[in-house]
Amino acid sequence: MIEVRFFATFREGRDKVSLLEPKDFKTAGDILDHFRIHREEVAILLINGLYSPADTAVKDGDVIALFPPVGGG
Amino acid sequence: MRYERQLLIPQIGQSGQEKLKKSKVTVIGVGGLGSPVLTYLVSAGVGRIQIVDCDVVSESNLNRQFLHHTVDIGRAKVLSAQEKLASLNPEVKVSTVNQRLNPDNVKEYISGSDVVVDCVDNAETRIMAAAACMELDIPLVEGGVRGFYGYVMDIGKDYPCLSCLGYDTVKQKTPVPVLGVTAGIIGCMQANECIKLLLGIGAPLYGRMLNYDGLSGNWEEVHVKKAADCPIHARAEAGKRGK
Repeated sequence: MIEVRFFATFREGRDKVSLLEPKDFKTAGDILDHFRIHREEVAILLINGLYSPADTAVKDGDVIALFPPVGGG
Repeated sequence: MRYERQLLIPQIGQSGQEKLKKSKVTVIGVGGLGSPVLTYLVSAGVGRIQIVDCDVVSESNLNRQFLHHTVDIGRAKVLSAQEKLASLNPEVKVSTVNQRLNPDNVKEYISGSDVVVDCVDNAETRIMAAAACMELDIPLVEGGVRGFYGYVMDIGKDYPCLSCLGYDTVKQKTPVPVLGVTAGIIGCMQANECIKLLLGIGAPLYGRMLNYDGLSGNWEEVHVKKAADCPIHARAEAGKRGK
């Protein structure tokens, strides 16, 4: 399975963690589309802790973490 | 005695207090994060603190930027903050830089700092501060907030930075929504990291992005990795070679 971890406002209206069937997704961008998250809303996209562009291929066992932009208060 | 309670902490004691007194910290941004960071660093007796901000106090700051009061509206934030901090602890030397950081002046201002604390509100300055800190080999305490959420992470030349995480491509829509108490919590964590780094104690949050969720009341750690092709790390290395 692919584990998707949502942070900050991305978790509002969603579970904090979603498990996805790897066969249904080729890239991280496909996963963003699945959750209706626009590319420009994402400040940080990590696959297994490493920055990855949306066109990065995903595979079984990957952990994806998504963060929106933040401010300094 | 002002520091009596923290002198009782075994990891601090008299020698730690002396170390704090001899330390210099630069805090970039005197807003919602900067207010708690500065309050606790000044309270703890960090000897010299430089505050950098080019903004003036506005009414919409006051839900979270508690170093500024209603009477300060229209005043330079660095002066408003300096006044409160001097009243809190006159033993601490607080200097001010009422200018916007840019690539030409950032290294000059942060040079000589033992730690820099990033409390800014835009991605551009975050990246610029991180690059300068890495080039000068100064630890940077990074923090950010959004609504009920926030994170804190330490950055150093041998550890991942915001650019490693792809943050330099962010198109930030301002203003970011912020609850005052969320900025307070994250700012307190930044002050804690700063004190740890100054004293060389505990486990700094290098490569560990500690995320706060104020709605569920959880803290979650995400381990992050340094990018092999990070432009900031490359620039820092090139800068050192050029010296």
